[in-house]
Amino acid sequence: MREKATVLNESDMDRIVKRIAHEIIERNKGSNNLIFLGIQKKGIPLAERIRDHIENLEKTKIDFGKLDISFYRDDIDKKIKTDFNITDIPFEIKDKDIILVDDVLFTGRTIRAALDAIMDFGRPKSIQLVVLIDRGHRELPIRADYVGKNLPTSLNEYVEVMFKEIEGEDKVSICWI
Amino acid sequence: MDINKEKHKKTNNLLILNGSIVNTEAKNTFKSDIVIENGVISRISKHITAGDFDKSIFKVIDASELIICPGFFDMHVHLREPGSEEEEDIKSGINSAIRGGITSLACMPNTSPVIDEPFLVEYLKMRSCANDYNIFPVAAITRNLEGKDIAEFGLLREAGAAAFSDDGRAVQNSKLMYEIMKYAAQMDVLLILHEEDYSFSEDGVVHEGYFSAAKGLEGISNLSEDIMIARDIILAKKTGARIHFTHLSSADSVNYIRLAKKEGIRVTCDVTPEHFYFNDEYIKDFNTNFKIKPPIRSEYDRKSIIEGIKDGTIDAIASDHAPHIDAEKNISFNEAAFGSIGLETLFKASITKLLKSEKIGLEKIIGLISAAPSEIMGAEKNNIKEGRQANMSIVDINCHEKYTKEMIFSKSKNSAFLNENLYGEVIYTIVNGCLRFINKIKSQGEDFS
Amino acid sequence: MSLKNILDIEELNKTHVLKIIESTGYFKEVLGRDLKKVPALRGKTIINIFYEPSTRTRTSFELAAKRLSADVINFSPSSSSMKKGETELDTIKTILEMKADLAVVRHKDSGFVKYISEHITIPVINAGDGRHAHPTQALLDLFTIYCHFKRMEKIKIAIVGDILNSRVARSDISLFKKMDLEVFTVSPSMLLPEDMSYFDTKNFECIDEIIGQCDVIYMLRMQFERQNKKFYPSVREYNRFFTLDFKRFNNMKEGAILMHPGPVNRGIEIDGRVLDMEDRNLAKIKIGEQVGNGVAVRMALLHYLLSQK
Repeated sequence: MREKATVLNESDMDRIVKRIAHEIIERNKGSNNLIFLGIQKKGIPLAERIRDHIENLEKTKIDFGKLDISFYRDDIDKKIKTDFNITDIPFEIKDKDIILVDDVLFTGRTIRAALDAIMDFGRPKSIQLVVLIDRGHRELPIRADYVGKNLPTSLNEYVEVMFKEIEGEDKVSICWI
Repeated sequence: MDINKEKHKKTNNLLILNGSIVNTEAKNTFKSDIVIENGVISRISKHITAGDFDKSIFKVIDASELIICPGFFDMHVHLREPGSEEEEDIKSGINSAIRGGITSLACMPNTSPVIDEPFLVEYLKMRSCANDYNIFPVAAITRNLEGKDIAEFGLLREAGAAAFSDDGRAVQNSKLMYEIMKYAAQMDVLLILHEEDYSFSEDGVVHEGYFSAAKGLEGISNLSEDIMIARDIILAKKTGARIHFTHLSSADSVNYIRLAKKEGIRVTCDVTPEHFYFNDEYIKDFNTNFKIKPPIRSEYDRKSIIEGIKDGTIDAIASDHAPHIDAEKNISFNEAAFGSIGLETLFKASITKLLKSEKIGLEKIIGLISAAPSEIMGAEKNNIKEGRQANMSIVDINCHEKYTKEMIFSKSKNSAFLNENLYGEVIYTIVNGCLRFINKIKSQGEDFS
Repeated sequence: MSLKNILDIEELNKTHVLKIIESTGYFKEVLGRDLKKVPALRGKTIINIFYEPSTRTRTSFELAAKRLSADVINFSPSSSSMKKGETELDTIKTILEMKADLAVVRHKDSGFVKYISEHITIPVINAGDGRHAHPTQALLDLFTIYCHFKRMEKIKIAIVGDILNSRVARSDISLFKKMDLEVFTVSPSMLLPEDMSYFDTKNFECIDEIIGQCDVIYMLRMQFERQNKKFYPSVREYNRFFTLDFKRFNNMKEGAILMHPGPVNRGIEIDGRVLDMEDRNLAKIKIGEQVGNGVAVRMALLHYLLSQK
């Protein structure tokens, strides 16, 4: 895999976080009933940033949870997958408006699994999806409510998202496989 | 009819040229040709010209790279007939023996029925004759091997019993054993003793040691054998009975026998190739072919047995050929039957371990599987001499290959030696003057049939 | 890192163990949810083949499978109706024609589960074979210790009781030593293997000699059913030297924990009064927690073996 082109840099990503934060507040008329769920692993830092920004803007506290969807995958026979991450939702989600956050929206299967997982924890009022990149090629009828950047790709390309919290820098690039 | 006659003639009249003959008495090996006429060794000489002999009568064997040994004598074999012919019968057992270069064997009485009646001994003798082979029937020490009533030593001996054994079992009652030995001494018969104190071996399936602990398998302590060997040495000393301990497995047992021999007590003993070849580590994958009784013991025991062979404490090597059908071996370790077949590996395993690894002299090794057991059994000593009926195996001691199921002649395939790289190969076996086995692959495709 | 079966601790290396212990944590989280079920193994069929009666282990495997949405079949052949080995194997093969994806096997004979695994193609988990091995018990024990101390190295553990007849002891000692715990045994001579070099542990004749120094006191079940020859003199002799009574419980090192694979013979391994204090001493008596961790470990193992092709 080699890098092809940088799509977003640090300041691009920063602007996106702020824009989406504002969109969420606007759409939900505030932040009263919101909770944030980041999908392991790359959804977590993005969710934290948006949540932090909204907390600053609204001067409030918003619950934050982590969701690992390993147990909900539908491709157990197809790939070796033993890297689990913690699922940590230490609060009630019943009747809440959930902001579900992931880095890249691709086939939609991860989001399908995440929706199943959330339903096992309770019945939220609504679920809204935030993604940094929508790269197309959906296999399920799923769409994001908030998109950082629409990035048309071909199937032999790979979108790599890096966060300061994990890789030490903020960058999105597109690579050949 | 005529063709058969021709064939028979040829297998009875042989010219064996350029071979090396093993003399187990003089402990040397010398180059010579051998002429066999009507089954009898008529000349052993270096100056035989093949041209002087009629090729239509004599079959010529080129033994240039081969060793000519006196026929092997296996003094511990289970032929399973009568009663368990699905595992082996006398005919298949003889075929297996001949494949292994064995020209005489002693068969154990733990058949069904047990060989504890004179007519059963006669039956075995008859079957031996019918197959033109040398079977030495061993009769039971106690009726039905129950360790209670002494069998009719006198009548059984007259019927042709060569020795007495409760093999597979041991007489637990010491007073009874004392009476058995007194009577054996009086009748001058040989007792072949399987030594096992049941209180130490009950439920045991492997040697009690490191690997029984590691694998959670019930162990059989060395004491099971040691205690009985010590007891029976004491009884033999007291009674003067001639006793032979078979399939020795424990280091201390070898020591006790060494001491007994020094004291002049009439004891002899044998070991199986399994006990000097393997150690208990081989059971670590629960391979049931290594489940034998007495168990394959520790490396220390194995080394002591090798020492015993080297210093002459151990008199003979015997196979304890114990055939079992697949259903008795291809099951869990606890349920599996004890025993490994061994007729066809007696020679190969001895050559591999004792000659190639331990550098014990060839003549000594051949003596342990030919002259010595025949002497212990009171048979005519197997030796290659003019005027004697020819009983010999002609072998290659340098070739080697992986031992596989496909090579086995026996009805049963439960060999502990499967997948071992074994040295030595029997090329020809001559039984009672008749060429009975030709290894077609190893004899360069020579075929007379 | 590819294991087809879980048969014996000896087949696992440190990396395997750490991976299993780590992933067990994630499965344990599922057990803490209101809805204790995830669809991870939906469509998979797991067969429990128990030749030896066992309610606890079988239930634990069954629950583990169900928490992962797998289908479970329980099959308990009576060993009396199946004498010859070929029949046992044929029965199992017939069962597997029902297209199970994984078999959990328990049998009274050491080595039997390995034997079965050599004759069938699907993954096999050993749920206890004779006196040989009980690897899932050992892993849940290690997980319990790790959860409490957050480390494994240098944890001092005394394993008390019938070492000779216990597959739990065999697998525990093997696993704990592999992971660098310090293992001691406390056992009378007739309940120790003749050759202790495999275990290579220091043995004590009385629990009092070591109770104050150990981080974990692990009481083994007295395996009266597996002691075909009973050589130990009496229960009261056992009480004198080995039983964890009230006084010994109080003499345990500060922060130490008490474990037992269950079911406990009250008054033999552990004084009933000590057991009755478990609810008030959850940080010290881990016997109940072991049961829960057993389900989590088994979930992790089922998922692990079924998630690789």
